[in-house]
Amino acid sequence: MTLDRRTLLKGGLATGLGALGTSLLEGPVTAATLQGSLPKKVDVVVVGGGLSGLVAAQRVARSGRSVLVVEARKRVGGRLLNHHLDAGGVIEAGGAFVGPTQDHILALANELRVATFPEYIDGKNVYISKGRRSLYTGTVPPDPFILIDAALLLSKLNGYAAEMPVDAPWSHPKAAQWDAMTLSEFIHRNTLNSAAVENLIKAWTQPGFGADPSQLSLLFVIHYIACSGNERTPGTFELNSNTKGGAQESRFVGGSQLIPLRLAQKLGDRVALAAAVTRIEQRDGAAFVRTSRGTVRARRVIVAMPPPTVLGIDWYPQLPSRRSTLLKKWEMGDLMKCDAVYSTPFWREDGLSGSGVADAGATRTVFDNSPPDGKVGVLLAFVGGSVHRQYAPQSLTARRTAVLEGFAQMFGPKALKPIEYTEKDWTKERWTGGGPTPIMGPGTMTTFGSAVRTRFKRVHWAGTETSTYWNGYMDGAVRAGKRAATEVLEAL
Amino acid sequence: MKRLIAGLSAVLLGLTLVLTVPGAAASGTRDKWDTRVFSKVPYPGTPAYVFVHTNGRVYAGTYDTGTKTPSRVFEWTSGGTLLRSWTVPGQDLAHSPAIQVANQDARGRLVLLEKSTSAVLTLDLKTGRFKRQATLPDLPLCSTKVAPCSPNSSAAKAIPNYASWGPGGALYVTDYGQAVIWRIPATGGTPKVWFASKALDNVLGFGTTGIVYQPSSKSFLITQQTVGNLLANAPSGRLYALPISTSGKPGTLKTLWTSRPTELPDGFGIGRSGKIYVAGVGPLNQLVVLSPTGKELERFPKFPLLGDNGSSVPFDGASNATFLGTRVLVANQSPILGDRAHHVILDVEVGERGIPNYLPSSSILR
Repeated sequence: MTLDRRTLLKGGLATGLGALGTSLLEGPVTAATLQGSLPKKVDVVVVGGGLSGLVAAQRVARSGRSVLVVEARKRVGGRLLNHHLDAGGVIEAGGAFVGPTQDHILALANELRVATFPEYIDGKNVYISKGRRSLYTGTVPPDPFILIDAALLLSKLNGYAAEMPVDAPWSHPKAAQWDAMTLSEFIHRNTLNSAAVENLIKAWTQPGFGADPSQLSLLFVIHYIACSGNERTPGTFELNSNTKGGAQESRFVGGSQLIPLRLAQKLGDRVALAAAVTRIEQRDGAAFVRTSRGTVRARRVIVAMPPPTVLGIDWYPQLPSRRSTLLKKWEMGDLMKCDAVYSTPFWREDGLSGSGVADAGATRTVFDNSPPDGKVGVLLAFVGGSVHRQYAPQSLTARRTAVLEGFAQMFGPKALKPIEYTEKDWTKERWTGGGPTPIMGPGTMTTFGSAVRTRFKRVHWAGTETSTYWNGYMDGAVRAGKRAATEVLEAL
Repeated sequence: MKRLIAGLSAVLLGLTLVLTVPGAAASGTRDKWDTRVFSKVPYPGTPAYVFVHTNGRVYAGTYDTGTKTPSRVFEWTSGGTLLRSWTVPGQDLAHSPAIQVANQDARGRLVLLEKSTSAVLTLDLKTGRFKRQATLPDLPLCSTKVAPCSPNSSAAKAIPNYASWGPGGALYVTDYGQAVIWRIPATGGTPKVWFASKALDNVLGFGTTGIVYQPSSKSFLITQQTVGNLLANAPSGRLYALPISTSGKPGTLKTLWTSRPTELPDGFGIGRSGKIYVAGVGPLNQLVVLSPTGKELERFPKFPLLGDNGSSVPFDGASNATFLGTRVLVANQSPILGDRAHHVILDVEVGERGIPNYLPSSSILR
């Protein structure tokens, strides 16, 4: 460690961090420093204090190399953000779910003593179609006008995904063909009741990508499905979309942000908050990372930021054109999470799971987001893609009304009277720029995708988007952080 | 080649009872022969060999995939997490692009053997740079009286297959096509025929495979997939021992073991007990355990053909047995069915550690 503790820890948190309770840790100040000068020189600077960057830093630190995480916000966690309910309990305003084959995030959580609990799924789900309400179990509503079409479509996608190289989707023999069309076009070419199927598939793409099928390259989607597994279990649509047995199976007790918070706590003064990076220069055999709190010289840099935000840095020399174009085309999705809090999870008494899908309105995809003790009930609506573009510009009051009416349509009039309503629009987060993940339209992956992990001189790339499995998820963030740290440690 | 294996397989299937072995327990300390999937091998699949680097990580390339896709080299952690991959440049895509991660040099670069251009390459893991170190020439048949030559019965192209460092840091490379072993001098240079023998000639293209130098006995162990005349006898393979003298010249080739017909012995690993674990890429789908003198001790699975190892993926063209701790990693090629779901690396507990890869400090190519 070359960090000088005297120059750090001016945020007044130099002592007693190990004894801090969860609530204080989740405040704006963590174990990291908020002000003061930064060390002049470290082995590795990690840009971005999200999960991936912190994992990378942890790996570098464990190797005995000096490392500094510089984070623009006054908090760590990136797209993981806890929200404390007025009535007690924690929910997530950002990434929340974990599931089978996400071994890396689960192992990390276990190491940090963050437990999981199963997402509530007892009872029936609700399906709203053409204003009619029906109940079902499983992931896909058994709409007779859609079911066979959807089943055949998903079977095709799973078959393609089984052949997809997760590390190099652009190298697949059909990559050019699949990257020349959108998921929407594929749906229309392969289904009879295309409009209805596409509308249903939106219930998957809007929360999962913050986008509609018409925005997504088919190749990108097939790759995403292929990545929804691990080295031993092939990725499938079901692993991605299911609650039980899928990526929405469990949540973290105390909220997912506990994981980056505890990582940051372990890293201590090696995390500098409120240190937005403005310029990265590579010259004289080193990299110079200029931040709002000073410049740090490093032998290697790991950038773990959402792709579009990387373009906000002044690069010298300039980013390679392929990297730069990839970042420009790799836009973040549009996503908002809207949560209504109730004194009890009343729908459970009615034999309902709290999950629902609707073909119209603000609440297209709904989950029971209650804390594990179920003392209060929380309904969560993912408002993404075109639904986001419809409702995000509206006033909070109008949007709140639309969301609550959607909940009421699914679970009854009690849903109209929450004790708290909260929402998080990730498109308004300056240092994220959208959510939950960046997306690729046609042509991007085959033309620029191979630049995804290509290092730029002394700069290496982390962030969940660069992962081979579960990219866009917490598991991918952990994997990418480990991989980037491996690269850097090998190069040092 | 795949067609031949398929034919041999069909004959054997007709003669052999279908039997299975119960799966081994998978708990805490693993039982001997407990087999698990280490990792799928991403497209284009068809892994050929698994190499365990001194950095603790695991590498494998894609080989004879039946596509015109450039070969890829994959990197995993010792726990089976896919870390990185590289696309091999400069391959002749019209002629079976294939890459085998055969070894590493003392600098930590991977030593790769490329089939379509008969090349020895290195891959620098720090920079991702590939470097062509040597090209194995196609030799005339010895019947032409031109030297150097290959004692094959019919002309064949050079196919670098496996590589081992030898005394003084020279690299010794088996040739799957030609009946020779190549020597590339320490620090690199032009490959020269070091050893040539009709005993390395093949039947229908199934030639020389694994090679491992044993400093304790100053000899190489070498596997040969087929020997002899197809019309006169069934195509059995061999495990040879080939000493190397202090002057560096080859001694007399000795047969330690003769495989079963169609076994097609491929890569192998040597345990600290001296036992030799040979993978057969042929349709018998077994690992064979041999004593140091070549006596057959055991087979896993006990019964041939089905490759039922108790894991979710059976042995299907097991092409090597590389030690990682007390396990051997086995690349499944699936040469008969070409089943991509079987293109995995299997992790087989064997209950002993392997001898370290011989890596003298002078083992550095250019």
